[in-house]
Amino acid sequence: MSCKSDVLVIGAGVIGCAIARELAKFKIETVLLEKETDVGSGVSKGNSGVLHTGLYYPKGSLKAKLCVEGRLMFPELAKQLGVPYRLCGKQVIARTEEELEDLERLKAVGEGNGAQGLTIISGKELKKREPHLDALYALHSPVAGIFPPYLFTIALAENALNNGVKIHVNTEVLNIKQVNSGYKVKTTQGVFYADVIVNSAGLYADRISAMIGLDDYKLYPCRGEYLILDKNCSDLISSMVYPVPPKVAGVLGVHLTPTIDGNILIGPSAEFINSREDSRTTKEKVQQLIEGARDLLPSIPLNQIIYGFSAVRSKITPPEEQTSRDFIIREDIANFINMIGMESPGLTASPAIAKLVVQMIKERIDVEEKTDFDPVRKRTISFGEASRAEQASLIKSDPAYGEIVCRCEHVSKREVLDALDNPFSAKSISAVKYRTRAGMGRCHGGFCLPKIVEILKEDYGVPPEEIKLKNLDSPLFVGTTKGLREKEESE
Amino acid sequence: MKKEMICIGCPLGCSLSVEYGGKTIQQVTGNRCKVGLEYAEKEVFNPERILTTTVRVKNGHLPLVSVRTNKPMSKNRLFDVMNLLAKVEVEAPVKIGDKIVSNIFNTDVSVVATKNILKKHQN
Amino acid sequence: MNEFTSRDVDLVVIGGGPAGLAAAISAKKNGVQDLVIIERNNWLGGILPQCIHDGFGLEIFQEPLTGPEYAQRYVDELKTLEIPYMLNGMVLEVTPEKEVFVASPRGLFCFHTKAIILAMGCRERTRGQICIPGTRPAGVYTAGVTQNLINLKNVMVGKDVVILGSGDIGLIMARRLTLEGAKVHAVVEILSHTNGLPRNIQQCLIDYEIPLLLSHTVTEIHGQNRVESVTISPVNENLEPIKGKEKRITCDTLLLSIGLIPENELSKTCGVELSSATGGAMVNENLETSVSGVFACGNALHVHDVVDFVTLEAERAGEGAAEYVLGKPRKVERVRVEAGDGIRYVLPNNILRDADLELSIRVTCPGEDVSIGFFDGEELVTTRKFRKVHPAQMIKIKLKRSETRAISTLKAEVLQK
Repeated sequence: MSCKSDVLVIGAGVIGCAIARELAKFKIETVLLEKETDVGSGVSKGNSGVLHTGLYYPKGSLKAKLCVEGRLMFPELAKQLGVPYRLCGKQVIARTEEELEDLERLKAVGEGNGAQGLTIISGKELKKREPHLDALYALHSPVAGIFPPYLFTIALAENALNNGVKIHVNTEVLNIKQVNSGYKVKTTQGVFYADVIVNSAGLYADRISAMIGLDDYKLYPCRGEYLILDKNCSDLISSMVYPVPPKVAGVLGVHLTPTIDGNILIGPSAEFINSREDSRTTKEKVQQLIEGARDLLPSIPLNQIIYGFSAVRSKITPPEEQTSRDFIIREDIANFINMIGMESPGLTASPAIAKLVVQMIKERIDVEEKTDFDPVRKRTISFGEASRAEQASLIKSDPAYGEIVCRCEHVSKREVLDALDNPFSAKSISAVKYRTRAGMGRCHGGFCLPKIVEILKEDYGVPPEEIKLKNLDSPLFVGTTKGLREKEESE
Repeated sequence: MKKEMICIGCPLGCSLSVEYGGKTIQQVTGNRCKVGLEYAEKEVFNPERILTTTVRVKNGHLPLVSVRTNKPMSKNRLFDVMNLLAKVEVEAPVKIGDKIVSNIFNTDVSVVATKNILKKHQN
Repeated sequence: MNEFTSRDVDLVVIGGGPAGLAAAISAKKNGVQDLVIIERNNWLGGILPQCIHDGFGLEIFQEPLTGPEYAQRYVDELKTLEIPYMLNGMVLEVTPEKEVFVASPRGLFCFHTKAIILAMGCRERTRGQICIPGTRPAGVYTAGVTQNLINLKNVMVGKDVVILGSGDIGLIMARRLTLEGAKVHAVVEILSHTNGLPRNIQQCLIDYEIPLLLSHTVTEIHGQNRVESVTISPVNENLEPIKGKEKRITCDTLLLSIGLIPENELSKTCGVELSSATGGAMVNENLETSVSGVFACGNALHVHDVVDFVTLEAERAGEGAAEYVLGKPRKVERVRVEAGDGIRYVLPNNILRDADLELSIRVTCPGEDVSIGFFDGEELVTTRKFRKVHPAQMIKIKLKRSETRAISTLKAEVLQK
């Protein structure tokens, strides 16, 4: 297969998808490549899901500028894309008088970056808002918010696709050559030609860059582990709770983040690791997360942990450096835009990063705006969150809404079918999980897995040995019950 | 000769100690009832087990029917029976007690269904 | 206007497994006419249809039935008694006013009911809850899900299996997997003794030469996309892994049989008081919870070992619900029952004095020649002796009316020798 486009975006994480969606507004051919089976398979789905205020980044840095811009763009974008979010606010708490100085410093940095409404409140005032928290002071930021990052990524990609962007999953870039005035990109699914390349390959951005000879970039993979608490704990906090940042480069410290669905995230940890693929969870970090959580909120019930996960950050700051390096968004050679080191606040900044990159592209190629760009992606129906009257109406319109597949999150069969019908043809348990939340609850697939397997068999004709957990190398089963003995007999 | 074993006759699971020679049992200790005595003798000379498993169903509302041997069968032939059953496909409907395979390996042991399976789309 | 469908009934039984079936049958036999069972699966019998092994029904039917056969007995009786039931019905919420919201393909229902029997069963403890370190590949399953896949869905999960947890479910699955051609490399148990029945050790492990590794646990899972191996480690008296003694077992599947948790999300929505010792509702000897007219039985109340006892308990719950629905006079004077030293829990949590009753007890530690004493304050009311006790085996103790006539409190305790 060979394909020619104006722009080729490598990596369908949240930044790649945001750029693709932005490019979709113009009358140019855009192609988005993703090596995994689904969009948002990397750190875009494994983070705190926070809309950051912009407190931590030096004034004038790209991080500071794009974080605040992105945050301001977000509400409109979320509305267009049908992504739920909540401006739950954030408390950075000080337990000592010395830490109060840190709060004042953060406040100054934040205000310098354009953040509004930052106030330092007393412990008593904090108690009114967060009855379970004890502190001397807190820096309160009302503008910080939470949203599901995986859903945001999927929504961006779907809207981009809907507006003409071609998205290829299971497509890994193998090498890139400069040809004539553009690039020839060899992948596992054929050859792609493009005039402009955008490297948003996240954890592999340095390798993509090296393919074109720009091999100066070095990534220091830094793993972050999380623990998730049951929704039963949702009363414990209503806003994000952070300690004063520890004096380690670019690390925010173990904090507590509520999620829009009512869970609480504990984490992330920060650990420099040798291999970027090493997304394990470890005993040591789980212990540290629990201690960190207990430190902030002594009443945290540990028997309500339902899951632990991790993701790896693309850091370009070596472990020994104190201050975190800025984003690298650079056109190192003509028409090749590199984005390296896109860690936090990459998620918040993504809409603004997209605008910036598109601006850079506009200076290179002529682009004309579309008149028929449709910014709207209809919000996916969540049966579990609908009112009883809405639920009755949904079932009447389609009985598949009445068959509940996920007992924890009340996800219906119709939602599962819609997820399996996703335009990226990602037919995996993970594709269902990130679109519907089936499997994210306390029983963690105990009820829904056999039901989803049955749906794949009956409704899609997928035999057991072809059902995947996430990517093509993750088969869930080896065949039918009688399969092993049948095979033995014939051997 | 001596053999230690756990009686599987009932949930108590007595630990039995069996002394035997040639083809006769000399002594059984540890049992709390007659079932244990009978079990000990069988287990030493001709161990038997009830086999419970599944068999494929054609045109049924479920793809498998659960089955059991109607009496204990030779423990040594469990895998042989499993291999045999792997090739069997029974046509729906099936009722509890239906013989799926009669007189397995020319013994008086049969494999019977333990679940009702309706024809597909009947329910 | 697409509002939900409202129905008035006298009794809603939530769950059509062995507990729900027996409770509904009992309620009907005791006079409740207008009742319905709500079952979330598209079959009746709950967990039994996938428990294709035998050993069920020894108490009630005096024969070792398989799970499906045991279930069919009650399904047949249910149909004979013409008790209505709804399949594919998921109860979304039970309000304190006893409104039961049910989602089903036929519509959204709201049952306004006089009484409710909570028979939701239990769910399995997951890998995430015990935070097993390592990667998160395909191939990590709980035993019950595996049993469902293998026995109901005709799906085989893997070829080379390690099982964590030596309770009966893990042992049964060790045998099942081996019979279908998989290799079970080991059953790993963190305690120094197994919780499973000795006869299951014989017929599930010894029969197939499957090693049982006591005082060991799984400390890491390996494999980026599919399980490739697990690290196991011996543990000390505090159940902590002993460093330097780890071993890797190559496998493609890790099966977890690490505990069951009574399902009580709905109990919470209707305001029922739960016990932290059982994970289920606090009840009196009629199995009535702290909410008048709401009853609980089966695994939703406390995790059972023997399905016959689930049935017997559920029958009492059905009787209790019938008494409530029919407006029988209700005795109020109750004595609180407590668990003392050596006792993990006692059910029911409160009783009528001056009545014969049966208690369900689990001890905290295994023991031989154990005496359980019942105290009213400082005074020893009665004792019961047992040759062998084990936390994995529920003990049933009958107390006579004459023994409880004068008490004001009741505490069960393992007596020091």
